[in-house]
Amino acid sequence: MVTTKKQKYLFLAFCLVPTFLLFAVFTLYPMISGLYFSFFSWSGAAANREFVGIDNYIRLFNDGIIPRTILHDYFLVVTKVLGIMVLAMYFAVAIMQLKLKEAPFYRIIFFFPNIMSVVVIGILWTFIYNPNLGLVNSALEAVGLENLTRPWLGSETWALPSLVLPSIWAGIGLFMLMLMGGIATISKSYYEAAELDGATEWQQFWKVTVPLLWPQIKVSILYIVITTLNGSFIIVQIMTGGGPNNSTHVMGSYLYQQAFEQYNFGYGATIGVMILVISLVTVLVLARLLKREKVQY
Amino acid sequence: MEGKKKGHILKRFGLRIPLVLWSLAVLYPIFWMMLGSFKTNAEIYANPWGMPESFGFQNFIDAWNNYNIDLGVFNSLLVTVLGSLLALMLAVPTSYALERMEFKGSTMLFNLYISAMMIPMVLGWIPLFFLLMNFGMLDNLFGLSVVYAVSQLPFSIFVLTTFMGSIPKELEESAAMDGMSPYRILWKIITPLSMSGIITVTIMNAIQFWNEYFMALIFLQSRENYTLGLAIDFISREASYTNAWGTLFASLTIAIIPIIILYAIFQRRISKGMTEGAIKG
Repeated sequence: MVTTKKQKYLFLAFCLVPTFLLFAVFTLYPMISGLYFSFFSWSGAAANREFVGIDNYIRLFNDGIIPRTILHDYFLVVTKVLGIMVLAMYFAVAIMQLKLKEAPFYRIIFFFPNIMSVVVIGILWTFIYNPNLGLVNSALEAVGLENLTRPWLGSETWALPSLVLPSIWAGIGLFMLMLMGGIATISKSYYEAAELDGATEWQQFWKVTVPLLWPQIKVSILYIVITTLNGSFIIVQIMTGGGPNNSTHVMGSYLYQQAFEQYNFGYGATIGVMILVISLVTVLVLARLLKREKVQY
Repeated sequence: MEGKKKGHILKRFGLRIPLVLWSLAVLYPIFWMMLGSFKTNAEIYANPWGMPESFGFQNFIDAWNNYNIDLGVFNSLLVTVLGSLLALMLAVPTSYALERMEFKGSTMLFNLYISAMMIPMVLGWIPLFFLLMNFGMLDNLFGLSVVYAVSQLPFSIFVLTTFMGSIPKELEESAAMDGMSPYRILWKIITPLSMSGIITVTIMNAIQFWNEYFMALIFLQSRENYTLGLAIDFISREASYTNAWGTLFASLTIAIIPIIILYAIFQRRISKGMTEGAIKG
């Protein structure tokens, strides 16, 4: 390059500074001042912002709803990880092993809900669960199981489990594609060798496919956990708003309620700090647990 | 031998059943929603999951004229276009500098951008709310577009640096020899050569912005600024009183059609872009 040092720095500044400024103002600053806000009691007007030290954190530990929101988040994490991984794994292996002619059809169809708006998914599924008109109760009645029909989203027991199915429905395609990408890189010779040794297909799955696919499995699980802890509240907000009687509140929807509906902005920020800590700790612990020796055959 | 073959065919058939069932589980609700948009309310109550009696567009006309869906579509288009353009303007030069120029702290800056993909943004939304208020950008579609663009910066930078990394260095070097300024190299050489990445990023961002709900919920307030998601959510909340189910289905259909069209054209690009974005995360 023949450009002088000064020109180089000017060009670098041109490339980097405007972007970084906006990133700093709209991402870094809000994150940091979220931490700072958590030490204030604040209902929104500048005049009544009051420093309260760790009062919000004391309140957090004494708030009976908080443990429930954490539990609900983890319930969604566990059920989503299990549901998505089992189904996505089955679909990926079936499509790849059987070399189905219609494989592109499944890829295209299963992935589509991943790019649907959460609003559309949430409202659609609210209607599917509708006690009078919805598909679920109609289907149960059609097969003679009237006694199993219930107001799914209106029931304190069933509302939270009812949110799992739409989340799996919406997420599965992406993880199926990630696993299929991994399976495509496994050499056929491993399966041939295993077959010569007399391994059944089930054994081949556990001894060859799973270990060699572990990097993709690990990334998929971590991704489901991160997106659930950081984003499960969106579908909650649309489908139940946290109700009935707080039975579906997750950390994020409770934050929204505290900050933007009840104007406890300081306390809302404290819940935000909790979400940050819990999701970072969960991901770090999980990444350690999922660590395996790299397999080589 | 014959028996084994038969068993094999049966097994192939049996293993397919869950795949077929899941396809139905994905497609049926979507078709059901589209069919519902042609039904009158009476039909929805009488026959919630059958075919409509006739295909009239009354629900669409109602949604468009009486339920603010026209404004919703316009506002969503505005934030989608502005947000996507701004995201590109911000991400392309930075990606180039991060990928191709040597400077102190380049890796650190890259990691800073990328790690923002993992951080829960919800903590930042409270201060952002007041920041936008102080800037006079609250309840403002331009403000929302800026917030959208910045929120997709990490993803955009991640994908663009990957694409730019595959462009041969010789092209820039010989252009620089010929006395081309770095600005022109960026504009005339790098931008066209990374067009594939730029298109992927733009499609992904556009889908994201068109679908976005929660930031719009927090940062917009007046009904004339509602994006499509908010307008539909509003109809949905009122539907329990107004029973405007047909209108609701029609507006959901309006929201999903652009996504279906984009997916029909760019299906490979979209699924690839998303899978790669996830693998990094």
